[in-house]
Amino acid sequence: MASSPAARVTGRIAVPVLGLFWLAVTTVPFLFMVMTSFKSQQESFSSSVWALPKALDLVNYESVLEGPFLTYFKNSVMVVVISVILIMLISAMAAFAFARMRFRLNDALFGLIVAGMIVPIHITLVPIYLLTRQLGLYDSQFALIGPYVATSLPISVFILTEFMRQIPKELEEAARLDGCGPFAIFFKVFLPLSGPGLSTIAIYNGIMLWNEFIFAYVLTSSTSTRTLPLAIWDYQGQYTSNIPAILAVVTLTSLPLVVAYAFGQEKIVKGMMAGSLKG
Amino acid sequence: MTKITLSGVNKSFGANFPVIRNVDLTIEEGEFCVFLGPSGCGKSTLLRMVAGLESGYSGQISIGDRVVDKVEPADRQVAMVFQNYALYPHMTVYDNMAFGLRQAKTPKDEIDRRVQEAARILQIEALLERMPKALSGGQRQRVAIGRAIVRQPKVFLFDEPLSNLDAALRVHMRSEIATLHRNFPAASMIYVTHDQTEAMALADKIVLLHAGKDMLKHGSIAQVGKPLDLYHRPRNLFVAGFLGSPTMNFLEATFVAQEPAGARVVLKSGEELVVPVDGSALAAGAPVTLGVRPEHLAPVVGPAPQTLTRKVAAVEHFGEYSFVYLEGGTPAPLIAKVPGDGGVKASDSATYSAPADCCHLFDADGIALTHLTNT
Repeated sequence: MASSPAARVTGRIAVPVLGLFWLAVTTVPFLFMVMTSFKSQQESFSSSVWALPKALDLVNYESVLEGPFLTYFKNSVMVVVISVILIMLISAMAAFAFARMRFRLNDALFGLIVAGMIVPIHITLVPIYLLTRQLGLYDSQFALIGPYVATSLPISVFILTEFMRQIPKELEEAARLDGCGPFAIFFKVFLPLSGPGLSTIAIYNGIMLWNEFIFAYVLTSSTSTRTLPLAIWDYQGQYTSNIPAILAVVTLTSLPLVVAYAFGQEKIVKGMMAGSLKG
Repeated sequence: MTKITLSGVNKSFGANFPVIRNVDLTIEEGEFCVFLGPSGCGKSTLLRMVAGLESGYSGQISIGDRVVDKVEPADRQVAMVFQNYALYPHMTVYDNMAFGLRQAKTPKDEIDRRVQEAARILQIEALLERMPKALSGGQRQRVAIGRAIVRQPKVFLFDEPLSNLDAALRVHMRSEIATLHRNFPAASMIYVTHDQTEAMALADKIVLLHAGKDMLKHGSIAQVGKPLDLYHRPRNLFVAGFLGSPTMNFLEATFVAQEPAGARVVLKSGEELVVPVDGSALAAGAPVTLGVRPEHLAPVVGPAPQTLTRKVAAVEHFGEYSFVYLEGGTPAPLIAKVPGDGGVKASDSATYSAPADCCHLFDADGIALTHLTNT
């Protein structure tokens, strides 16, 4: 459909304007966070909110790194890596079954799992807390892995099932003729071909779990077991908050994601797009 | 022995959608059998049943002396070439061809020998390290055939393997498949296509399948036989109309009498013809359908027996030959395929002879009457 010249001119102006607006919306908080993290607590109160720091004061970073930050970081890495690996493996296997195997309750079970997406995690907090205590996992990193995997599975199974439904049936049949059983078809054909779908759920869940707060807050209590989102609490007292230090923590916390994006930008976007198109 | 036998095979999708009915068929060792038919006739389903990719059918399928109804596809000693190639996109050409052998735990040296040999036969040695996405359609099809060859199957199954290729490449690959058949004389081949040219060119035996109501009424198989048998002696109106391009001309007629030379019929236009068939079972006045192929109508000048005179509706010129469209066909216009420019133009009156040997007569049920030369 051909558009009118007026519409084309409007589009030529509106698109960059809206783009710049969105860039500002996403970048300004980030700049504020980094700038403030270099200010002293006193400077943050006395100077304008948008004023540049007088000097690149690393004291907040020193203070954060001298504290238990690295322990939190290590815990976060461990919990997120194990959770994401389990999510990928379990959701891929479930998706293969839903996408490719014919059994009586296929549609009903798929619907049930996908319905899990609409359950707010907050209503599961108390049962999960009690269950975790009964299992003796309370205040350990492993307490987080179960809920993280469980709450991430519905969306992951949904994305991967739709992705695997797009893989031509003939590939599965060719594999059957080549002597593959269901496991060989899954591991040797479907899993390698689901790379874009798997990277989508790895990125999506990795970011969500890296920032996850509420389960970490409820299921862990000691410094040795807590994850990065809780590090902020170390700098928040009953009556005051060390805002520059908190923002230094937030900057350091988001740094791995920023670095990962800087180096793997093309792959990440491709993975997200592949997932969105196929799913 | 790689004879393939299908006995009393029926299949339905769900309770109310029969797709294969009453198939009894034998494909001999080394035979090139083509399943031909219109869309939805179940030809691919039948092929997939032989491959073991379709379950839930009644009847029995045997390959060699073994009933294979409960045998896994990989254990049937069949190899299949798919319409869309079905190459594993994440594997190189070599790995695609070697995959089945690796699954069967074949020794590495043997795998390499077989892959190299198949690559040599198909002239794809230079492509072995490439990924499928880096290949053209024709190259992909060769790799798909190579993947079948390395397994040294007793039965090759082809599911419309050329339909994704352009016209020129299709002709080339068709001759390569014919060569493949000559190189593996002991292997039986089943080839599914809706293209009658491919079927006529390749087949030792054609199995023409009914679709829809015809399938429900008469069973799936319309006729089985050598390509020229189906062309010259179609068993019914469906077969006569399906094979040949343009399709056979059909004219409504009335049976007059059985004579020594054949059945005398009179067309609605009043012309009388004698068709050398046995019409002794028909009563005088019985409605029949006369069939004559466009390429068998020859232009004549002056009075002659066995002729049809019609007004020319249109002429299509193709250089080597022309299609002359004549008024008065049933229901489509009558077509004569004549050499050169046809020598006529629209609105002319033209006369064409319908040689008795090339005429067919079908009864009211559409069943062909037996030619006297066959009895």
